[in-house]
Amino acid sequence: MLKDITLGQYFPVDSVAHRLDPRTKLILLIMYITAVFIVRDIWLFGVVIAFMLLMTAMSRVPFSYVMKAIKPMRILLPLMFILNLFMIRTGTVLFSWRFITITTGGIKQALFIVLRLVALVTGASLLTLTTTPVSLTEGLEKLLTPLKIIKFPAHELAMMMTIALRFIPTLLEEADKIMKAQLARGADLESGNIFKKTKAMVPILIPLFVNSFRRAEELALAMESRCYHGGEGRTKLKVLKFRMRDLWAILIMSALIALIIVLQSTLSIDGVIASFVLGLLGIDR
Amino acid sequence: MPIVVEKLTYTYQAGSVNAFTALKDVSFTVNDGEFVGIIGHTGCGKSTLIQQLNGLMLPSSGRVTVDGFDMNDKKQRAKGRALVGMVFQYPDYQLFDETVYKDISFGPRNMKLPEEEIARRISEAMRLVGLDEKEFSDKSPFELSGGEKRRTALAGIVAMYPKYLVLDEPMAGLDPSGRKAVIEMIEGFRKTLGCAVVMVSHSMDDIARSADKVIVLRDGTIYKSGTPAEIFSEAEELNEMGLEPPFAARVASRLRKQGVPLPGGIYTNEALADALSGIKGGSADA
Amino acid sequence: MLSLKNVSFSYESGSDAVKNVSLEIGDGEFIAIVGHNGSGKSTLAKLLNGLLLPTSGTVTVNGMDTSDDDRILDIRRHVGMVFQNPDNQIVTTVVREDVAFGPENLGIPTDEIVTRVDSALKAVGMEKYAESAPHMLSGGQKQRIAIAGMLAMEPEILVLDEATAMLDPIGRKEIIGIVRKLNEEKGITVIMITQYMEEAIGCERVIVINDGSIVMDDTPLAVFKRGDELRSIGLDVPAAVELREMLKTRGIADCGDAMTIEELTDKLCLSLLKN
Repeated sequence: MLKDITLGQYFPVDSVAHRLDPRTKLILLIMYITAVFIVRDIWLFGVVIAFMLLMTAMSRVPFSYVMKAIKPMRILLPLMFILNLFMIRTGTVLFSWRFITITTGGIKQALFIVLRLVALVTGASLLTLTTTPVSLTEGLEKLLTPLKIIKFPAHELAMMMTIALRFIPTLLEEADKIMKAQLARGADLESGNIFKKTKAMVPILIPLFVNSFRRAEELALAMESRCYHGGEGRTKLKVLKFRMRDLWAILIMSALIALIIVLQSTLSIDGVIASFVLGLLGIDR
Repeated sequence: MPIVVEKLTYTYQAGSVNAFTALKDVSFTVNDGEFVGIIGHTGCGKSTLIQQLNGLMLPSSGRVTVDGFDMNDKKQRAKGRALVGMVFQYPDYQLFDETVYKDISFGPRNMKLPEEEIARRISEAMRLVGLDEKEFSDKSPFELSGGEKRRTALAGIVAMYPKYLVLDEPMAGLDPSGRKAVIEMIEGFRKTLGCAVVMVSHSMDDIARSADKVIVLRDGTIYKSGTPAEIFSEAEELNEMGLEPPFAARVASRLRKQGVPLPGGIYTNEALADALSGIKGGSADA
Repeated sequence: MLSLKNVSFSYESGSDAVKNVSLEIGDGEFIAIVGHNGSGKSTLAKLLNGLLLPTSGTVTVNGMDTSDDDRILDIRRHVGMVFQNPDNQIVTTVVREDVAFGPENLGIPTDEIVTRVDSALKAVGMEKYAESAPHMLSGGQKQRIAIAGMLAMEPEILVLDEATAMLDPIGRKEIIGIVRKLNEEKGITVIMITQYMEEAIGCERVIVINDGSIVMDDTPLAVFKRGDELRSIGLDVPAAVELREMLKTRGIADCGDAMTIEELTDKLCLSLLKN
């Protein structure tokens, strides 16, 4: 049933990774992404991957579960690999036949691209697997709170995320019911070209929108009845607290990044920034 | 020709850890023109079952045929579905068009009927649900009151002239006069269109009043089926299942316990009154 | 103490939804407000905690005027409101967090929120579901969470705006049982807006609304004696009263003032034995 979809696919076990403060985990993710992008050496990349595996082990989430995140990319990944393999022509030519040329640079680049994507997606999914959407939202709100100085609506953003998370299953279920109601009236959603199919969606989208607006109105009334008046003066059921383990986690991650920087002997700041930018662009030197 | 449900089993998320069998080995028949009431507490599989009747959900095993059309077969399903009109609990799931008239025409139009036939059916459907054609045709369905929306939704189905009308809790959330109006409308459809009715409802009194046959679902299986008299005279049994029997049946059951010699099979106020006046007459003679 | 003085309300679009209503509701009362769909009873409910402000007249809660902007939070804390659609009043993805939503808005210290949430969940018998996701609960359970969310604000008055209309009979009974207990044990004033006559039987007072005005305000006993009037405004009498009337007209038995099935059968037995 659509109802059973759990968003962010939280994996409910108790582990060090689960107990870390959500803010720590968000910071760790950002640091991890930085590490993935600045690493230029394929062997050092092995260290990053090993680190990822270690974190997975510590989270007590089954490895296969973490790897599920890659499933939606099962077409993209081979495609990226092949494109890079054939398009990049640096280093030694290993093989050449008509318009196909494979070079050492190409292999390295193709491997890098794929590994980077896998590392990023699994890292991010590790965050959502070990953190409930609620505490993730809380962590984000807290991390963004300093930005209130520049009028950044941190509380409102978090509230919107919470409501969205709350209502997505409800709306999916409703969409399913509406679709069935219209199918029962002989709606044809399958045949015809794209234009026809889009038009056939109208009888489903309109009730869905109308109902969503009504829901939003009723929810606003219910929230007002419960004295909601914005983020000002609000207290929290759960107060986030940094603990020793949070400090350790950040220290260890910092050490990893330092290691990468030192070993790549790009000690100058310029070099690191350059690596990062190049990494982002997917260009390998 | 009837709707025949044979050994129907349905499992949600079959094969996964969350697999849940909502229907187990369910068999029954809906004959032409028959009024079948389906009762059972929330979660017993009622909604899953009625969605099988027009192929919105397909059996995991077993078979549903509508006038001989096998709903498991994609081509036959379309023909079978055209015979079954399905009314969902809330009208908000189906109203979408600019005007009431256009909205009601959605079903007939999908059936590719000629324009004058569509117009004729809309007039008939609006008459049957008690919506004045002149007054409501050009109104937006979203401006209507709750009761009017429900009438419009019903008209949208009735205009398809279904041979079988399936209703899921059509009285939910209505006030007493609204509930009565819906019951009367359904009677009207049966008289005018001669359609069979399958109705799921929590209101045993409504089912008791109208149904020819009652099916009691429990944990996805047919616990019992029979005439209202057969089903509703066992008030205790229904109570145990968390179902509230018709009021007269409950009164009769309590009176029997208190030593009043009432005959079985009482589930309407009229029958109860008749039986009571019999006893009174009898004891006065003695 | 809730008091309405000559309250009228009209939506921008049309005629008066509430017409010149005056009403006093004392502390600890258990009241049903009944009326057919569109009679103005839900509009009346929304006037009670300042979600709507009267077009004319005044609504006061413990002497605080709902049109006073500075007191509105205090008023809403005093008057808890549970709505019809269980789905549209739960804000967050975890039951505990949702019950905490009100107290959080009120700026209650964390320690106290925790105790309030726990006792509110206990009061509605949902403590086992504290960590559940609301969308996996049944309608009745969702409404219990909505009530707990109100209780956590420690209101003096609880308004149920057709809170049972979308529930099955079991869910409906659960909710009625819970609010009755809250009224008896905690002395919370309960105002139940409903179209189910059976729910009005156990109340101390039934207010019948038609076309935006109060047409009856009396004990259930007295109100249900006016069956024909009720039917003429799209309402009904409880099943026991209907049967009682029928037996009386047909000269079979006089069951006096019976309103519940227990009273009815007891009276019936007595009257049959007399013969």
